[in-house]
Amino acid sequence: MSVSVVSYGVYLPYLRLKREEYISAWGSCSAEIKEKTVMDVDEDVLTMAVAAAKDALEHIEAEQVSVLALASTSFPYQEKVMAGTIMEALGLPSDVLATHHGHSTLAGTEALLTACSLLAQAGGKYALVVVSDAPSASTAQDIEHSLGAAACAFVLAKEEPGLVLEGAYGYVSEVMGVRYRQAGERGIRDIGVRSFAAQAYTRAVEAAVTGLLKKLECSSEAYRHVVLHYYDLRTTASLGKRLGFSEEQLKGGLVYERIGDTGACSTLLGLCQTMENISPGDRVLVCAYGAGSGSQAVGFVLEQEKPACKTPLSVLLEKKRYISYTHYLKLKGVI
Amino acid sequence: MEGVAIIGAGQTRYGDFPEKGLKELFAEAYFEMLASVDRGFDPQLIQAAYIGCLSAGSGFQLGQLAPLLMGHVGLPHVYAVRVENACASGGYALYNAACAIASGKFNFVLAAGVEKMRDVSSTKGRYWLGISGDTEYERLAGLTFAGIYALMATRYMHEYGLKREHLAMVAVKNHRHAVANPKAQFRQEITLERALSGPPVAYPFTVWDCSPTSDGAAVVLLCNAKLAKSFTDRPVYLAGFGAASDYLAVHDRHTITSLHATRKAAAEAYKQAGIGPGDIDFAEVHDCFTIAEIMAYSDLGFCEEGQAHRLLEEGVTQLGGRRPVNVSGGLKAKGHPIGATGCGMAYEIFRQLRGEAREPSRQIPNARFALSHNVGGSGGTAAVFIYRRGD
Amino acid sequence: MGAHISIPMYQRAIPQRYRLVGQKCVKCGKVNFPPKAVCKYCLSSAEFAPVKLSGRGTVYSYTVIAGGGAPPEFAEIARCKGRYPVALVQLEEGPVIIAQLVDVPEEEEIFIGMPVEAVFRKIYEEEGVIRYGIKFRPA
Repeated sequence: MSVSVVSYGVYLPYLRLKREEYISAWGSCSAEIKEKTVMDVDEDVLTMAVAAAKDALEHIEAEQVSVLALASTSFPYQEKVMAGTIMEALGLPSDVLATHHGHSTLAGTEALLTACSLLAQAGGKYALVVVSDAPSASTAQDIEHSLGAAACAFVLAKEEPGLVLEGAYGYVSEVMGVRYRQAGERGIRDIGVRSFAAQAYTRAVEAAVTGLLKKLECSSEAYRHVVLHYYDLRTTASLGKRLGFSEEQLKGGLVYERIGDTGACSTLLGLCQTMENISPGDRVLVCAYGAGSGSQAVGFVLEQEKPACKTPLSVLLEKKRYISYTHYLKLKGVI
Repeated sequence: MEGVAIIGAGQTRYGDFPEKGLKELFAEAYFEMLASVDRGFDPQLIQAAYIGCLSAGSGFQLGQLAPLLMGHVGLPHVYAVRVENACASGGYALYNAACAIASGKFNFVLAAGVEKMRDVSSTKGRYWLGISGDTEYERLAGLTFAGIYALMATRYMHEYGLKREHLAMVAVKNHRHAVANPKAQFRQEITLERALSGPPVAYPFTVWDCSPTSDGAAVVLLCNAKLAKSFTDRPVYLAGFGAASDYLAVHDRHTITSLHATRKAAAEAYKQAGIGPGDIDFAEVHDCFTIAEIMAYSDLGFCEEGQAHRLLEEGVTQLGGRRPVNVSGGLKAKGHPIGATGCGMAYEIFRQLRGEAREPSRQIPNARFALSHNVGGSGGTAAVFIYRRGD
Repeated sequence: MGAHISIPMYQRAIPQRYRLVGQKCVKCGKVNFPPKAVCKYCLSSAEFAPVKLSGRGTVYSYTVIAGGGAPPEFAEIARCKGRYPVALVQLEEGPVIIAQLVDVPEEEEIFIGMPVEAVFRKIYEEEGVIRYGIKFRPA
């Protein structure tokens, strides 16, 4: 059975914080961003999820959705089924098979892969994958500077033309990555050991990508676009190079600079970005990474039509209003 | 149907009275009412009392407020009931009392209203004030009470070319009127510039477009018209009274530049009195927000729809004008103790029609017919009364 | 706490609050929102079919609530935004609904007739439960 992405939706909050705001407040900005997205006071992971999913379902009958896979590291409740909110807001059938994925930035690809498998079980035509994230950390920490917010949603279908999933490869190890979060905490922490963490990232992503290439018997040149989990400019660029990918292959999915770190959403937003520049027959490779440590690589090929999209990412990147750092602190509940 | 007359009326000053509670305010107005009956009145004759109050349900006295207050003034056994229709509670108390006389069931009935609004923190005050609209929808859109009237004002400005200056003219006029009224909360003039530049509350309103929160009480004594002359040579007759409802939520209404409840209540009152808007010499209308007075002008028939602001420009409704409106200062400056307001309007008209406005400067000369208009919430209810000088 | 809306009271209206489900009168065909027991247009029929409203409409009227006067449930929003716009929105299908406006570049740019579309947002939080619902943004 083939499974393909037949439509997708993206959501970026309207508010943006510029790099300069960090520089004027703190003297420097520790993240390689030009600006990042910021949720308004009345937004959270679920409202962003609904917005992205609504767009993804623009031409799909909600009643035909039989699988709902949600992913976020920052759900608003520690215990409560989130699918109910999404189900009611979108008018999905209540017998939808629902799963929730969290605990690491791998949650996005995890949800995508789970939905693919569940679609085989489910009677209905479509699976809806919604990945929405807004990681947070104490504003006193450097790691906070990069944190943005976004959501994307994908409608998967059985045996239909679209972005067909060709294969996936996973990798798990016990090496600590750059960040983690203890039970009951809202903010992520940094282990503070840069080179050790970078090495863990490099090894995990490398293992998943090379594993996938081998499994699919593809060379690195076979991919038009490659989206690697963003670590930092230098680390990610040198990893890409080592894996045999050109700058041309890597640049199509780079969204970090204008959105920030969106946790579980990051690499899949990159996938959405590549959809704006893709032709039938093109292959896309996405590799997500979760600190802690694990990695999942997923390969796609575009068969016939591009997945439908109501409002592409490039348009959303221009719909914005800049806020001050003071306003940002108010939204974070700090002042 | 029996005729209805007012033979006595009393009212506390409206304002901020930390030393007085609901009972003390009510008693003060009650004793002034008794003293106002020209030939004296034995309170034991009172058979029923209708008492308007909103806040009784919000933490002061949960139930049975009316018997509590009647027991406080030595009438523990009369028929007594609280009436609640938000800001029209007093008007509805008066309406029910008038109907009770008209039906022939009772000969002597009290209509009263009381409110104690200044005892709560501003946060708690906002909690209970919010309930006068459709809480489930209006309130949960983050809308305040001022906000609902502000929506009406914005639309009115769009449809009829009303300017913010016209809204301010209502505030300036009513503040000027209140200066000479010893019962008013704010006895100071304001300038147009000040009214326009006050702190914003809800666009297009500044704080000067809004009535205040007030403590206060008003009590009116009604009797069967046939018996009135044994108590006074100068009764005031309730020649007509009407009351009507509308959808509570503004989103359910066909228009928001006119209050249907006011129009229907006014039509009923005019018909009963056998007169038209042109016969009204002066009026006390419900100006909880400045736009409310402007809408009332056309809803009560004083002008065509959308022409209300012309009356302000021409000075028709100011003291000395052709048809003064809110010479008491209105809710805006006399004050707005919610449950008392409707009965306080009747108090003002009773004094005016009897030539007892106290300060000669605010006495309307030779008036024969007057009208009062009391609105609940944003127009979910309205009561209109027409008064005739009894000579 | 006079205007407190309990969790069950809120949840009973979830279809209206989350996705604007209205009721189409079987007799006169007009759409009621929020629901009524008797159609508010023909005032005679009590039979309806549920209909999901598009969420597209135009501003019928609006105001901007100053922060200090916001209802207590909205203190958090008022604190962050200073003030916030609320509009009566006339939907394509006829009903007028009342909701906050979001993602407005400048309040001065709001006008009667402005096209808007529904968005799903947090309305407020009480008793630790987030109350979600509909707001509108410029379309």
